Amino acid sequence: MTQSDPIFRLEGVTRRYGNLTALDGIDFVAEDNSYIALLGPSGSGKTSLLRVIAGFETPDKGRIWFQGRDITDLPAHERGIGFVFQNFALFPHLTIFENVAFGLRHGATKVPDAEITDRVRASIDMVGLSGLEDRNPDQISGGQKQRVALARSLVMQPKLVLLDEPLGALDANLRERMQTELRAIRERLDVTFLHVTGSETEALAMGDRVAVLDAGRIIQHGTPDSIYDSPAVSDVAQFLNRFNMFEGSLKDGMFHGAFGAVSVASARPNDTDVYAIRYDRTRIFDADASDLPGPALPVRYLASEYLGSSIIFLFETADHKTVEVDHHLSLGEPRDLTVGQNYVLSWDPAQAIVFGKESAR
Amino acid sequence: MSAASTNRQKTNTFRLLAPGVVWMILFLVAPIMMIVYVSFWTQTTFAINSTLTLDSWRNFFASEAYVGALWTTIRLWLIVLTLTFVIGYPAALYVGLLVKSKTVSTVLLVLCVIPFWTSFLIRVLAWRPMLGKEGAINIILQKVGLIDTPIEVLLFSELSVIIGMTQIYVVFMVGPIAFMLGRIDRNIIEAARDLGAGFGRIFWKIIFPLSLPGVVVGAIFVSVMVLGEFATSGALSGRKVNLLGNIIVTQVGSLKWAMASVVGVILTILLGIVVAGFLRIVDLKREI
Repeated sequence: MTQSDPIFRLEGVTRRYGNLTALDGIDFVAEDNSYIALLGPSGSGKTSLLRVIAGFETPDKGRIWFQGRDITDLPAHERGIGFVFQNFALFPHLTIFENVAFGLRHGATKVPDAEITDRVRASIDMVGLSGLEDRNPDQISGGQKQRVALARSLVMQPKLVLLDEPLGALDANLRERMQTELRAIRERLDVTFLHVTGSETEALAMGDRVAVLDAGRIIQHGTPDSIYDSPAVSDVAQFLNRFNMFEGSLKDGMFHGAFGAVSVASARPNDTDVYAIRYDRTRIFDADASDLPGPALPVRYLASEYLGSSIIFLFETADHKTVEVDHHLSLGEPRDLTVGQNYVLSWDPAQAIVFGKESAR
Repeated sequence: MSAASTNRQKTNTFRLLAPGVVWMILFLVAPIMMIVYVSFWTQTTFAINSTLTLDSWRNFFASEAYVGALWTTIRLWLIVLTLTFVIGYPAALYVGLLVKSKTVSTVLLVLCVIPFWTSFLIRVLAWRPMLGKEGAINIILQKVGLIDTPIEVLLFSELSVIIGMTQIYVVFMVGPIAFMLGRIDRNIIEAARDLGAGFGRIFWKIIFPLSLPGVVVGAIFVSVMVLGEFATSGALSGRKVNLLGNIIVTQVGSLKWAMASVVGVILTILLGIVVAGFLRIVDLKREI
């Protein structure tokens, strides 16, 4: 990835609806020509942020810069930012061809007819829909609508395309194919994609950069592996859905939790004291085992889920908290467990991530 | 599927259809056939007999008054249709699309319907004290000093009939259009904005085409009612404006059944052509 000028920049963008603060002073810089995934739970302000960037809503405070220009007060139709809606929002009374041609025909700049035909055909071809130009939107499938919506935005040659949960309305198979395809299409064109999603796997798989949004704030921004390996705060670890998280208290370099007291080398600043260990770093031992690599968490075995490449084992602690262990089958056959039997979970303390009010040492 | 069950299905279909078919034959097809039949009967001054003749039809097309009434009906219908559309569309646009809150738009639609709580005739007659020589409008204009002598053409003229009909029927245009506009996905309009289209382009290329079925339904409502009108022109024109409806009323009043039937048939054919014409504009089946 080449470092270049930011394609867009948000400065303290705030948006309120009555008493509700949807966006709370967001600062964000996006590099040109990259795929940015914006991850957040529903209600975190993801869609509001996209709508503010697109110009469908004006921020109460803050400025938006796009290609070095302040566009905060520019109306949506003069911004030249593409938007792909979650429900595709195709024009129901126009053919696929006319849907894609709409922006060229009715936009601000006059485009000659011959050029419109060429660009629309090229765009429809790029998303693999050649031959469907004369169909109506109600005569094509969900995946095809998705492609038309994309082609309709891309034909305008925008420098930035906003995608609002673009894969949310598709089934699992199609979703995976579109993931690959979206990335491929973006790499072919010199364009930045800002892809909003509630799915952590989608965000990590697709983004060159991932930004995590929570309660109207961006709480972490970085490469997918940096986010996955070192979540900045416990909320990020929570969204990633790959960590067993234990509450407890951190005092003088010792974390006291359901598994006893563990010495902690370092902790990240956080609102609460939380101890996190990845599912696939947690290991299962017999209740009376003595060769534990670290702390001992007594649990009862509940059930397992077979995922093909790995098995998820579900356990319950004494205070009825569910704990998951992810066993990759490439690491060997899993051990036989009896439902209802007690076991002990343990892990290498060096692989744990600790968040604390007192960010020690 | 066996032959027996196919047969049973056919019997069932027939049984389900029968009540509707019988009803339509008794109360729609038969009366229309009857009117067509009576229009060819022989009318003398005091009696009518079933000897077939073309006399009534010949009389209709030979009389300047009757043919004139046909043209007046068509002219008034076109004027009222245009006015209800021109006045109704912006109102529908506001109620159905521009008002963001669904509650407010429902309240506004109900407000449009409130005049219907009074009877039709009272709504028509209420225009007399408004438009008369010493009516509200003339008094206000004189008080303000815009005019010296009252405008007489306001009442008992074609103008008063047009004003009255437009006011009464405009809501039938607003309703269907507002309904269609309310169904438009807001994301579609935002998508058009995002592609660089200004409000004018969005209106003509997206909003108007998508509301067209509502316009057609509204136009059919207004047309059917205006073409059959006789009360508004009777009450507000001072007998100066004769519509086909008024002729039917007069002919029936003087027991001239044959001529009344001729006018009725002509009116029915006119309505059929108008409705068929509107239905050609959009495929309503796709919208339902």
